[in-house]
Amino acid sequence: MPVHSKQGRKHTKDPVETVIPAPCPLSPSLDETLQEISLRIGTSSDVIIRRFTNESLSSLSLAFIYIDGLVNADTVNQTVIQPLMEHVTLKSDAITADKAYALIKDQMLPIGGVQEGKTVEHMLSLLFEGYTLILFNGLTMALAADTSGYEKRSVNEPTSQGVIRGPKEGFTESLRVGTSMLRRRLKTSDLRIEEYKIGQRTGTGVALVYLQGIASEAVLAEIRRRLDGIITDSILESNYIEEFIQDGGLTPFPTIQNTERPDAVAGGLLEGQVGIIIDGTPFALLAPSTFFNFFQSSEDYYQRYDISSFLRLIRYGAFFVSMLLPALYIAVTTFHQEMLPTTLLISLAAQREGVPLPALAEALLMELTFDVLREAGVRMPRTIGPAISIVGALVLGQAAVSAGLVSAAMVIVVSFTAISNFVIPSLAIANSIRLIRFLLMLIAATLGLFGIMSFLMVLLIHLAGLYSFGVPYLSPVAPMIPRYLKDIFIRVPLWNMPMRPKTSLGKETRRQGPDQKPQSIEDQKKKAQLSGQQKKPQGEDQA
Amino acid sequence: MKQRKQAIQPESNLPLPAGRPPLTARKTSCLLLCLPLLSTLITGCWDNRELNELGITSGSAYDWEDNQWKATYQVINPSSGASGMGGSAGGSTTSPPFITFTVKGKTIMEAIDKTNLTSTREMFFSHSRITVLGEAMARHGINQIIDMFLRKQDARETVFVFLAKGEAGAILDQLMQMTKNQGAGIQLMIEQESRLVSYYPGVRLYELAMALSSESGSAVLPEIRLTGHKIMDETTEVAVTDLPSRLALGKLGVLKGEKLIGWLTQKQAFGLSFITDKINKATIAFPSHPKTGETPDASFILQNSSTSVRPIWDKDHYVMDIHIKGSGVLTELGSDMDLNDRASISGMEASIEQHVLELVNNSWTEVRKLGADVTGFAVRIHRSDRKRWKQIEQTKSWDNVFRDIEIRPHVSIKIERTGLSNKSFKSVQQK
Repeated sequence: MPVHSKQGRKHTKDPVETVIPAPCPLSPSLDETLQEISLRIGTSSDVIIRRFTNESLSSLSLAFIYIDGLVNADTVNQTVIQPLMEHVTLKSDAITADKAYALIKDQMLPIGGVQEGKTVEHMLSLLFEGYTLILFNGLTMALAADTSGYEKRSVNEPTSQGVIRGPKEGFTESLRVGTSMLRRRLKTSDLRIEEYKIGQRTGTGVALVYLQGIASEAVLAEIRRRLDGIITDSILESNYIEEFIQDGGLTPFPTIQNTERPDAVAGGLLEGQVGIIIDGTPFALLAPSTFFNFFQSSEDYYQRYDISSFLRLIRYGAFFVSMLLPALYIAVTTFHQEMLPTTLLISLAAQREGVPLPALAEALLMELTFDVLREAGVRMPRTIGPAISIVGALVLGQAAVSAGLVSAAMVIVVSFTAISNFVIPSLAIANSIRLIRFLLMLIAATLGLFGIMSFLMVLLIHLAGLYSFGVPYLSPVAPMIPRYLKDIFIRVPLWNMPMRPKTSLGKETRRQGPDQKPQSIEDQKKKAQLSGQQKKPQGEDQA
Repeated sequence: MKQRKQAIQPESNLPLPAGRPPLTARKTSCLLLCLPLLSTLITGCWDNRELNELGITSGSAYDWEDNQWKATYQVINPSSGASGMGGSAGGSTTSPPFITFTVKGKTIMEAIDKTNLTSTREMFFSHSRITVLGEAMARHGINQIIDMFLRKQDARETVFVFLAKGEAGAILDQLMQMTKNQGAGIQLMIEQESRLVSYYPGVRLYELAMALSSESGSAVLPEIRLTGHKIMDETTEVAVTDLPSRLALGKLGVLKGEKLIGWLTQKQAFGLSFITDKINKATIAFPSHPKTGETPDASFILQNSSTSVRPIWDKDHYVMDIHIKGSGVLTELGSDMDLNDRASISGMEASIEQHVLELVNNSWTEVRKLGADVTGFAVRIHRSDRKRWKQIEQTKSWDNVFRDIEIRPHVSIKIERTGLSNKSFKSVQQK
C-alpha cells in the first residue's frame, strides 16, 4: 500500500500523521523483508535485488539490493559482492547469521560509510541515496554500504554571476560538492554543516552551513525552526526553501540572497550569514540578507577598493535608473515640461510629433516588448539565439522609430532602463524592481512627479518595515549605525574594516588585527620615533 | 495548501528587535495626511499634457494699440527641427522654425485665451526666454504685464525683457541665422553682450520688478531693434550669408515708475554700467598720447572692474563718491610707444581713466536730466543714511534730491599686461 498517497493526504485533517507513517521493522525472514521492499518500490527496472545463498544447506542467506545508476557499479562489485562471495568463512556451513553480520560489518567491507538499520523505511532511504543494502535472513538488522556514485556535472564557471577577477568555479547540483567547496575555503573547525532532509517525495538534502561563533545563535535557531517547519513533498530548487522560510510574505523584495558562487557563500559566512545549500541546484541561499547585500558583488573584494566603491555607487545609481527612468520620462514629458532644458524639450516634442500613442502607452508598449524579448532570449534554444538579437534590435530600435510607432527618446529610455537592470549583481532584486517599474509608470502617468515621490515614500516605509530573520532590512542605514557603513555605499580598504558588519550578531565581531594598514619603511621609522613619546594606535577603527 | 500555510507563517514569531510599536490607526492616518503636503514641493502645472499638444512659446511681445493689449506669441514649430536636432524627426528646412500669433484683448489673459481660437495647441509659457515690450506700451505702463508674469503659474520671471521702438510684435517675426529658436537666440545675444561688452545689462523680468519696486523706482531695459527695414520672416530669405536686416541691441530705455521716459545712447549706457558696477568685461578704445591727439589709437580690455559708491551729505545735497577700479590687458596699439617705459604705461592708464571718467560724467548728465534714478543711488543712500532717507521718503522729495546729487567719480585703471609684444609694430617699422 503506498503510504504517501496524495488522495489520502487530501482527505485527512492532520497532514502530518499520514505523511510520516509508523516505521515498519525488518522482518527476520529475508523473504518477507524482500517482499515488503518490493511491495513498496514496485517493480522498477533499476532496482537490482540479488540473493546470495550458501551452496550447502546452511541457513545463511543474504541479499544485496542497490539501485543501478545511483551506485558506482565497480565499487559494488569489488568492495561488496566480490569479498562476500569469495570469503571462505562465509562459505562454510557452520556460520550463523549473527556471526556473518559481525564479520561482514567489521572486516569485510572496505568502505567508509557503512550503516546499520532496523526499519524498512530507513533502509529504503539509504537505498535511494546510492547505498547497497545487505539483508540477512534471520536478523532484524541490515547493513548498508555507501556505494553511491551517480553521474554529476563537473564544476564549471558560474553562468549567472561571472567575475573578471576571482575564483571561476561555481556550485554544482551535488550537495556534497557544494559543502566540500566550502570546506576547502574555510579550513576551520568552526564551520558547521547541519543536514536536513526536506520533502517527503524528493527527500532533498538541505545543508545548513554556518560558522560557529560568527553566525548569530538567534538567527540560527530561527532558520532551524523554519526549516523544520517545512512540510512539503518536494524541494526541487532553492527557491522552494526560500519561499517557505523568507520573511514578510507580501513583498516584492527578496530577503534571502541566492548565489552560485562558493566564494560568495564563504564571504557571507564570514560576515555572519548562514548558508543553505540544497541538493539538486547550484544555487545556494544566504540569510539574513539586507537590502544592501544585494548590491555587493564578491568581486568588490577582489579588486581595488576605489574602483569597487565607484562601481558600487554606479550600481545604486543603476538601481534607481532601472526603477524610475521610464516613470520619470513619463512624468516630465506629460506633467513637468518646464523642467526640461528648452532644446531638449523641443527635440522631444519633435520626436513625439508623429507618435500615435500617449507617452504612457508608448512606454508600456516598449517595456513590455523588452520583457517579451528578454523572456524569449532565456527560453529560446541556444541555436536560434542569434536570431533574437537581430529581431530584438529591430523591434526595440531604429526600425520601430522609423515605423512611427515610438519616439527615439523612448527607445533610449527603455534600452537604458534595461541595461541598468543588468548592472545590479543580484538578479533577485533586479527582478523585484522590474515589477515596481510598471506600477511607477502608471502612477507617473496619473500623478506626475508627485505620484512618484509618494510611491517612493510608501516603498521606503515598506522597506524600512521589512526584516530578514530579525535583521532590519535597511540596516545599517535605517537604523543608522555609522560605523558599519564602511561596506555599504562604498567599500573602504580591507585593512580599514576590522569589524564584521552588523548582520553578524555572534560573539566574534572582530575579524582582523588592528594596524593592518601596510606601512612603508619610512612610516615604521617615524612610528618608532614617535612611540618614544606616546603610544597610540594609528588611525584605526576601535569600534 | 493547508500545509504550505503552516510552513510559511513563521515570521510571526520572529525575534523582532524591541521598540517597534505597531502603528495605530491615528498615526497611520496622520502619515497619510502628510503625503499630500509633499505636493507643495512640486510647483508648476497640474495637468497631464502630451508633448505634442503643447505650443512651446519661446518669446512674447506686447503692444498697446487702440487701448487694447496686443500680444504676439512666438510658438516653436518642433517638426522643423528647431532644436537643431537631426535624424528621425526629419522636418523640412522650408517650414519655419516658429510661428507667431498676434491677438488682441482688453486684458493680457484675454488675449492669450484668444490664441486658442486660432492655434491647434495650448500655449505653454514655461520655456519663454524673452519678452519684448513695444514703446507705446512702455509709455502706457507695464505694471500689468509684470503682475501677470509674477502671478501666472507657467510664466517665467526669468525671461529677458526688451523694449522695441515701434511695434514689438515685429521683432518676433524676424528669423535668426545660426539659431532657429529666436527667443533663445536673443537671450544668448544679451547674455553674451553683457558678459563680453557690458554696454547693456541683461534685465530679467524679476530684476525689472525689483528695480521698479526699489527705492529708486526706476529701471533700464535694453532696446532690441532691426538693423534694416525689412523683416526677414521667410525661411528662404535667411539662406544668405549677409542678412540685410538683423536683430541688434540698440539703446537703453529708462523707465520711471511704470513708464518709459527716455533713452540712453550706447555710450551713456556704457557709462551707466560703470556707475552701477555691471561691467564684466569691456573693451575701451583710447588715445595713447592724449596730448598729441584725441583720436583713439589703442585698445584695452577691461577684465576686472569694481565700483564702489559712497554717498556723502554735503551741506544741502548729496555727493556720490564713485570709485571705479579696474585692470586689464592692452590689446592694440597704433602709436610708437615704448612699453618698457613705465611712464608711458602710466600715461596710457591715465588716458583710459580719463576716457572712463568722461563716459561716467556723460552718462550721469543724461540720467540726471531724465530724473530717473537708474543708478541705484537711492538704495545706497537708504543703506548708509537711514534717518535722512526716512525724511526724504516722508517729504517725497527724492526727485529733487536726486537732481541735486553731485557725483565725484575717481577712476583707477591698471594695465596689467601688454600682450605678447613689448614694442608697438609702428616703432619696429620706423627703425
